Amino acid sequence: MLKEEKMSKKIKKDYSRPLDVIVVEDNQVDARILESMLLDPPTIAKTLKIANTLSSAIKILEENEIEIAILDLNLPDSKGIDTIVEISKKFPKLTIVINTGAYEDELGLEALSLGAQDFLLKGKYNAYVLNKILRYCLERKRLEIELKQAYETLKDTQSQLIESEKMKVVGGLASGVAHEVKNPLATILYGVTYLIEQVKMDDDKYNLVLNNIKEATNRANGIITDLLDFASLNKMNRTKSNIVDVIEKSLSLVHYQISKNVIDIVKDYEVDLPLLMIDVNRIEQVFVNIFLNAIFSMEKNGKIGIRIHSSFIFDNKQALPSAAKDKFNPEQKLIIVEIDDVGKGIPENEISRIFDPFYTSRRGSGGVGLGLSVSKNIIENHGGSIVVENKADCGVIAKLIFIV
Amino acid sequence: MNCKKVLIVDDEKGFTSMLKLNLESIGAFEVKVVNESKYALMTAKQFLPDVILLDIIMPEKEGPDVAIEIRNDPTLKNIPIVFLTATITRDEVQSQNGWIGGNIFVAKPSSLKELLASIESSIAVK
Repeated sequence: MLKEEKMSKKIKKDYSRPLDVIVVEDNQVDARILESMLLDPPTIAKTLKIANTLSSAIKILEENEIEIAILDLNLPDSKGIDTIVEISKKFPKLTIVINTGAYEDELGLEALSLGAQDFLLKGKYNAYVLNKILRYCLERKRLEIELKQAYETLKDTQSQLIESEKMKVVGGLASGVAHEVKNPLATILYGVTYLIEQVKMDDDKYNLVLNNIKEATNRANGIITDLLDFASLNKMNRTKSNIVDVIEKSLSLVHYQISKNVIDIVKDYEVDLPLLMIDVNRIEQVFVNIFLNAIFSMEKNGKIGIRIHSSFIFDNKQALPSAAKDKFNPEQKLIIVEIDDVGKGIPENEISRIFDPFYTSRRGSGGVGLGLSVSKNIIENHGGSIVVENKADCGVIAKLIFIV
Repeated sequence: MNCKKVLIVDDEKGFTSMLKLNLESIGAFEVKVVNESKYALMTAKQFLPDVILLDIIMPEKEGPDVAIEIRNDPTLKNIPIVFLTATITRDEVQSQNGWIGGNIFVAKPSSLKELLASIESSIAVK
């Protein structure tokens, strides 16, 4: 069969399909006319609901599968354009056809811009015209939804592209800058080392100054190293590893800060977890970063909870970035690591920015703002996702999702 | 104590002079510096060092090219080379225990202690 024939057959089939319709009309005569057009043979509607107010229409739409509404704009509880706004806001996928006694050009256009598909003038159409209009409206609405989805996907893809371009620029810049800056840093470090080791002075201030220079040099090197992480994220060395071992190693790396701040670590690890293909050093870096963020967000005597479990679903899909929403399907086994603290949390107006490069709440105390951004890239390069949220009571919970 | 001869090949004059100062002050090393890598082979032939500390990114001739020349020279081929570079991070070096592709790497900046440990282990496996 030719493609065109197939298509025409499909359209024909769709064209005769009985529809699920609601008529929203407070005038009983008008409602009766529409009812007979829709139900008398050849039947247009297989389901027909009639509502005489906006509120009863909303109730019917919530409880029934209705695809198209024939809507009078002036109802006892809603007038004019507000009626369309209310319905199309609540039911964005519903096809709306306006049915009115008095046609006004401006009202007609406004109705269309607010989500209605067409405008019927009472007494000026018959069942044949009504049927044709309803079918055309449904098709237009379907195309409109498709177009909106395509637009959303395009917007998402565009922002991902911008993000990855930004990363490339920062990465390229980082490796260039890192090389140029590390050489003079090495010179300063060896110069200071020589003065500390070989030149003995009794003046305490002399040693204080030298130690400050040495510490500042090491800190600057740490910042450059963070920047280099951007440039070398694609260099992964993955091996089959146990996530529990990686977390324990990361904990040992922050042991000093944990004991200094008297932090209680509460562990809840599922036993016999499957192994993950990960770059151990990179994932360690992620956990160290999350642990340090948690530690710095709390006063002394705080608490960090670590829960590791496997699952076939991630129960908080809404929180995932849109690009990750479709990533985890129910056939995929996941390992979910949840790390929570009892710290001061993240201000709600800043939570959407925490993964942005150079965002930090610790600028004054040495934070550069690359930790979480690098962590997110590392996890995403492993095919996983990371979500950070404020807890209902206090503190923050970070959820890291790995695909087994 | 037997004084070990160290040849440093690096275009960063400030860095090489600081490193020379540190190594010589320990009293266990005789140090020679080459800041223009094109003279590295010639200097190595004359100096016959126990170890060569070699930068990677240098103008004119890069570290790996210098390393190939040294490896191809019958009188120098067994001299251990420690690559000293700012192009990799300490974490990357440590994750490979300091050895990458059969060579010892030290990331700049590293502490003198770390550098000395690398020099000693390279001489030990010679």
